[in-house]
Amino acid sequence: MLPFSPRFLLALLIPFAIISPLIAIALGTANIHFNEVLGAITRTLMAQVSTDAKTMLSDRIIVELRMPRAILAMICGAGLAVSGSVLQSVTRNPLADPYLFGISSGASLGAILALTGGIVFLPLSVCAFLGSLIAVAVVVVMARDGQVETLVLSGVAISFLLSSIANLLLYFSDPQAMQAVLFWSLGSFSRATWSTLITPAVIVATAIVIIYQFQRPLQALMVGDESAHTQGVAVLPLRLGMLILTALMTSSLVATCGGIGFVGLMIPHIIRILIGSASASSLIATALLGGVLMVWVDLLARLILPAQELPVGVMTAMLGSVFFIGLLIKRNQRFR
Amino acid sequence: MSISLLPNVHMEVKNLHWRSPSKQVLNDLSFTVERGKFIGILGPNGVGKSSLLRCMYKYMQPDSGEVLLNNKNINDYSRHEFAAKVAVVLQHAPVGFAMTAKQVLATGLINQQKWWQRINHQAENVEIERVLELVNLSSKAEQVFESLSGGEQQRVLIARALLQKPEILLLDEPTNHLDVGYQVEILKLVKSLNITVVASIHDLNLASAFCDKQLLLQHGKLVGCGQPNQVLTPNSIEDIYGIKTDVDKHPIGDHPRVTYHFDEVNRAAV
Repeated sequence: MLPFSPRFLLALLIPFAIISPLIAIALGTANIHFNEVLGAITRTLMAQVSTDAKTMLSDRIIVELRMPRAILAMICGAGLAVSGSVLQSVTRNPLADPYLFGISSGASLGAILALTGGIVFLPLSVCAFLGSLIAVAVVVVMARDGQVETLVLSGVAISFLLSSIANLLLYFSDPQAMQAVLFWSLGSFSRATWSTLITPAVIVATAIVIIYQFQRPLQALMVGDESAHTQGVAVLPLRLGMLILTALMTSSLVATCGGIGFVGLMIPHIIRILIGSASASSLIATALLGGVLMVWVDLLARLILPAQELPVGVMTAMLGSVFFIGLLIKRNQRFR
Repeated sequence: MSISLLPNVHMEVKNLHWRSPSKQVLNDLSFTVERGKFIGILGPNGVGKSSLLRCMYKYMQPDSGEVLLNNKNINDYSRHEFAAKVAVVLQHAPVGFAMTAKQVLATGLINQQKWWQRINHQAENVEIERVLELVNLSSKAEQVFESLSGGEQQRVLIARALLQKPEILLLDEPTNHLDVGYQVEILKLVKSLNITVVASIHDLNLASAFCDKQLLLQHGKLVGCGQPNQVLTPNSIEDIYGIKTDVDKHPIGDHPRVTYHFDEVNRAAV
């Protein structure tokens, strides 16, 4: 038996998903009272402007800086967690995550070309997006037989190839560009604005709606390709279609927020332990938990050191590693 | 396309050939599957039983020949049409990801709504409870599939096939890895469904007890086809399995009973 019912977990997560961004908006270098946060949001929704100078300033901090940041963190966490969950289902590999298929290294190469090459005149985020899409396109072409093994092997091969090219370019670049690439690759939501979050928001929301509609075939795929075939599932198109959807989600997120690892690996594991992974509720729970976790990690990254921000990617990697080590220790104790 | 003129023929395999990269696995197989009958596919390991079934449920395309379902080539059915008529219980189901028995069962309902349609969970639960009761597993619905015993897992997979409301049930070695009690229980359950069944079975005595018709394969060819007492003879068993046997009438049934001479096995002669 699983420890929680999906409904119970959702009933816990939904209020958390509403309150967490509000708390993240309230806390920061300039602490803002919770009532002021709600007031600023209400005024923005009603298209009103405060006449008080202090309130105007806090409204600007809330609406222009912290709100887009909290929302971007929420979208990023949800998108990466759902991508991980879907990829683990379609490859039946609990270690699959969005970065396994060259997405991260493709984005890094694109970013490095933008920062160092001078040959690319597009903005960094566009280059990173294109880089990761090209990487996934190559993986999909190489693994067009749809076999899980080919898919994972192509992903690993392309990932290493692109990383080596990226590192070579970085080796010959100037230290300033190297610093910029390092900062970008460690992940941050500090560049969040309303305009930067539109593209990932639209892509992630659309992808999650499509994935939700395909829950049943995805669950059938968890019981094996041949079994899914006997249920009338078009295994190959489903697998490649889901890979492309998750690639679009992850590429748009990596391009906007940089490399944030482990969320796509850790959240599906937690959901699987709590409620199992083969239900529509588990998809929603995965998205909510991913979003909530990312909001809190970003908040910690902002607050843990005074007047300094830690990279979010480093925090998630630490958290993820500790989680998996804990999981292993618990498992070893059970078998002792 | 050739049309079968026999009215009670549910499925027909005609001149089927299939070659793996290394050898000819199925060699000019032709037989009929009669409506409502239990057909057993017999033969030693690697003879092509699973390959034949895979051709019958469209997982593999034969090199030549055809499979007809209700007088229509199976390739002329859409994926969903075919799954609504033919359900399959595989030898292995690699169910992971902490899926509960109920969640595994629910995958059998894919065909009942289009991807854009809303799932009616209440109606589905009624259906799932009905088949769980049929396989006597109502109390195990919320248990993780992998934590169930081999026999229970097999019954869940049969229940899932039943959710498809099929005309034909294809089973690939359904009694594999099960103890004697579960073997009989599973085959009794399948027999009680009163639908057309095609199953590959290793145990000759079980196949004799449950099958209306048996197909005996050797080197990918059909070397015996008919009622158990016509197919299972000491000579045919020795030719195919390399073991001497006595075949007589089962003391509490009409079917043949096979007794093995355990000291007279000669696989090299097969």
